[in-house]
Amino acid sequence: MVAESGTAVRADLPHRTMPRARLTVTDVSKSFSGRTVVDVDSLTLGDHPIEGLIGPNGAGKTTLMRLIMGSLKVDSGKIRLEREGRREIELSRLPAHKIAQSGVVKSNQVITDFEGLTILDSLLLSVTPARREHPLHLAGERATYDEHRAAIERQLDDFGLEDSRRVALSAGEKKLVDIIRCLLLRPAVLLLDEPTAGLPGEVTRKVMDAVEKLAADGTTVVIIEHDLAVIWRLCAQVTFMAEGRVLLRGEPSDIREHKTVVESYLGQGHV
Amino acid sequence: MVLDTFLITGLFNVVMLIGLALLLHLQLGLTRIANFGVVGFWGVGLYTFGVLYVRVDWPFEDPIQFVVCAVLATAAAGLCGLLIGWLIADLDVDGVLVGTLGFATAVAILATTEQGLTGGARGMGGLRFPYDSGDVAVNELIWLLVLVALVAGILAYVWLVHRAPYGRLLIAIGSNEPLARSLGKPVTRTKLGLFTITSALMGLLGVMYGVMVRFLEVSSLGIEVTLATVVGLVVGGSVRVLGAVVGVLLTVGFFDIVIQSYLPLPAEWYTQTIPLMREVLFGVALILVLVFRPLGLLGHMRRDRLMKRIHGG
Ligand SMILES: Nc1ncnc2c1ncn2[C@@H]1O[C@H](COP(=O)(O)OP(=O)(O)OP(=O)(O)O)[C@@H](O)[C@H]1O
Ligand SMILES: [Mg+2]
Repeated sequence: MVAESGTAVRADLPHRTMPRARLTVTDVSKSFSGRTVVDVDSLTLGDHPIEGLIGPNGAGKTTLMRLIMGSLKVDSGKIRLEREGRREIELSRLPAHKIAQSGVVKSNQVITDFEGLTILDSLLLSVTPARREHPLHLAGERATYDEHRAAIERQLDDFGLEDSRRVALSAGEKKLVDIIRCLLLRPAVLLLDEPTAGLPGEVTRKVMDAVEKLAADGTTVVIIEHDLAVIWRLCAQVTFMAEGRVLLRGEPSDIREHKTVVESYLGQGHV
Repeated sequence: MVLDTFLITGLFNVVMLIGLALLLHLQLGLTRIANFGVVGFWGVGLYTFGVLYVRVDWPFEDPIQFVVCAVLATAAAGLCGLLIGWLIADLDVDGVLVGTLGFATAVAILATTEQGLTGGARGMGGLRFPYDSGDVAVNELIWLLVLVALVAGILAYVWLVHRAPYGRLLIAIGSNEPLARSLGKPVTRTKLGLFTITSALMGLLGVMYGVMVRFLEVSSLGIEVTLATVVGLVVGGSVRVLGAVVGVLLTVGFFDIVIQSYLPLPAEWYTQTIPLMREVLFGVALILVLVFRPLGLLGHMRRDRLMKRIHGG
């Protein structure tokens, strides 16, 4: 296993002196019908603005992210969130919506959408505060839009989504809406599960620009990505998973040194 | 003015069912909670009110006695909603269906067996209007107007909900619970809150009915109320605000008022043939709609038009 390489941060990303949110995964395991899918002894995410999570199909990457954001419950072990100036939170004891409220948000590998809601609905939903969603608070719609209009319109413009007053049609649009929902939440930790799969190249670049900007503003970003070029370019720290375990961890150059290990899982030409 | 009691009673039922269908629209149409025990919550309101009003020796007169009993009965129905909602919170559609249907059955059984309180199968009289104009027909007409005001209020609420963040949250939860949770939305709490409020209002409609008929009969706790509500909502369109109104008018309204009042049907049909015909026609209407227009006559939700209307663009 490659030793954690400490404080290396990509030179071209603006540094932040303030530490960002950190996730600590300790002795976490998860099985489905007796088959262990995730088995991670110790993993800390967030010492670097953007971290990569790579590994072959079925390695348990998505499952690990789902355990972190609470849509799956751990069988055993702990996942903790540390944020500057706040008490440490044990995420693995919280229900999913509380985890999201504490600032941990995930975009989805599989296309998910709210059937019947327009793109604008979907984006407004993510930014509406709880007090405006009270059954007796029936006048908050305009105010919510007015408050978030600038941010929403900017994202729609940036990503070239025209006419937000309609339902998202293509899989690509739904994926993009899913990502924009996350961006609008300005999360402390953003988990991206294959954000670029199914998006056209030009949109992919825009997504990555937006993610880099978010990271520069202090969000801890973790990306799962099969396109390793993206990983090598963006990530200061990379975790290589296979069969539910963390096999390698380090800077991109460290990982690429273990060419044989990586290629034995991912095939040739990846490193 | 000629007041036809038959017509007033018919209209009363139609308006009451519109109210129930509007509440079911919030539960089923928006939040996808498949409540098939509408009559149970309505019945808890009806019977709690009846028992409190008739059996308890209140130190005050109407209308205060009515208001107190009505509030308590509404609260009882809401409490049942909270309890049942909590029990069915994590069940799938089938589970919700069975759970709510089971609850309605339990209410009917309790009303039948607790004879000392409810009069059981013999029924219970002693209810009256909380006012008296001296003429029963006028009293009934006034009560119909009170109901119309109540249901208009429910309609206005539903209309506003569609235009508020709360409505969007309900639709989001109905469409994709895990995704709503992942955006920080308290899904279970929201569903429980909705189910409690709507169940309470179903109970209040039961109270209204009790005063109108002034006699509690366990036969009213059968499947008819739920069936008429569900058929009305689904025929009209369960995801549109006006679906409940259009659907109930076209089914219950058409059958109970137009056919029964204006078709010269033989008198002996009224006891057996007509109720049977009604169930059969409702069943056929439901099947036809589900086959040819699964979303009901009014169809899709049309959030696109609504968003344009509210936010322009
Ligand atoms: N809900 C589930 N029930 C049963 N098995 C599951 C479930 N979710 C995941 N698995 C299994 O767990 C293993 C890990 O899946 P996971 O989706 O985490 O892999 P991954 O690393 O994200 O793979 P990919 O790169 O293909 O997305 C797979 O074998 C998968 O079939
Ligand atoms: Mg995956």
